[in-house]
Amino acid sequence: MDATAEPETHAAANDAPETPSAVKATGLGLHFDDRRILQQIDLDVPPGQAVALMGANGAGKSTLLQVLATLIHPSQGRLELFGETIGPRSGGIRRRIGIIAHQSILYRDLSIRENLEFFGKLYDVVAAAERTREMLEMVGLAPRADDAVKTLSRGMTQRVSIARALMHDPDLLLADEPFNGLDAASTKALEALLRRIGQAGKAVIMANHDIAQSLALADRAVVLRQGRVVVDRPAGEIAVEDVLCEMSAR
Amino acid sequence: MIRTVRKILLLTGKDLRIEARTRQTLGLVVMLGILIIVVLGLGLGAEQKIPGFIATAILWVAYLFGGVLCFEKTMAVERHDGALAGLLAAPIDRGIIFAGKLLSNLILMLALAAVVTPVAIVLFNFDLSAAPWGFVAVTALSMFGFASVGTLFAGAVSSSRLQGGLLAILVFPICLPLVITSTQILIGLFRDGEALGAQGLGILVAFDAVYLIVSWLVFERILEP
Repeated sequence: MDATAEPETHAAANDAPETPSAVKATGLGLHFDDRRILQQIDLDVPPGQAVALMGANGAGKSTLLQVLATLIHPSQGRLELFGETIGPRSGGIRRRIGIIAHQSILYRDLSIRENLEFFGKLYDVVAAAERTREMLEMVGLAPRADDAVKTLSRGMTQRVSIARALMHDPDLLLADEPFNGLDAASTKALEALLRRIGQAGKAVIMANHDIAQSLALADRAVVLRQGRVVVDRPAGEIAVEDVLCEMSAR
Repeated sequence: MIRTVRKILLLTGKDLRIEARTRQTLGLVVMLGILIIVVLGLGLGAEQKIPGFIATAILWVAYLFGGVLCFEKTMAVERHDGALAGLLAAPIDRGIIFAGKLLSNLILMLALAAVVTPVAIVLFNFDLSAAPWGFVAVTALSMFGFASVGTLFAGAVSSSRLQGGLLAILVFPICLPLVITSTQILIGLFRDGEALGAQGLGILVAFDAVYLIVSWLVFERILEP
């Protein structure tokens, strides 16, 4: 597929008319000086949909997730989250977004419990201590709750990072390589968790290098190439080979 | 308003908890402060009694360099493991992040002053009794303005590789009018025996207000994840 061609779009079948999309990006673009990082991104993600964001290194997946997380302001286009147009004063909408990033977004000198409670309070979680206990049980780290994050393995740190992202029960989860560093058991647990999140009516947009895993978990596959959406289809209608072909096409 | 204050205290509490656990900043800053006082004291002649107004100037050198280290360290905590992105992605105004960092920096600078000032008193036979409350008021007000500017620029240069030198280069010239005013007032107190007047305090408060408001407004534009 040509890089400049319009992608096939997958309209959300289960999108009730009165429910605003979790994400609605229209003509989104981002450039730094002359470098175009994202170009003409159109994306409409209804609540409850899981989107697999795929692409080669440098395709713009992480940057797009940062834009959707309101961390970076787009240079062009319009972004709506849950029906609210995002501008400089849209801080309140962040309460509904959870982020799993490349880095853990944790304080290494604080314990797991202190980290989770801190972020819980930052998001005005009622009974943050109780919610922290729940999240610790969920990621299987309750016995190590009082250990400093810096003493944890990569996989354990990733589990804490997942717990942090879900502390405030977000309606939209933006996950950048969420399976990084996880062992087989933790991977299975996270896969089950992501399915449960979708079933609970929350939207998930996930960038993941494992294409087969992404297609198995997602309702919808979006492939980025050179900052553009080149494929946007139901995940069940595209094969791993097709995704690979689209990712590497010139 | 209460929610905002709670968030500011939450951020400051987190910074101070990390500092209490690691003792990275205060240990380093106090050592630097004492070193500056000892070196400058020896340079000026250790056997002589150093006049009070010179002692206060030496103390200010220690506060300034110690302060720059405080600003750097409290912001560096946010750069490890992308923690700053967690704050920027949270449903809080960036002004709250600024206020939290400013409060953390002020507390650390006051802790530095609490340790370093008695050292200067002993080392220089510095007679603080001439104007103890004037000294405290002028120092605290000047530190507030200095910390406002320092917190702003620490946020701006925290993603730069030139952090250390760059921060001092940016902060010192901007704070120069404040430092000059502060030392002039202290000279008046300790050399000329003047009383601390409302005019002197008013000038310092005006500096603080300008530095605080400008830094608060600019801070949210310069932070990057």
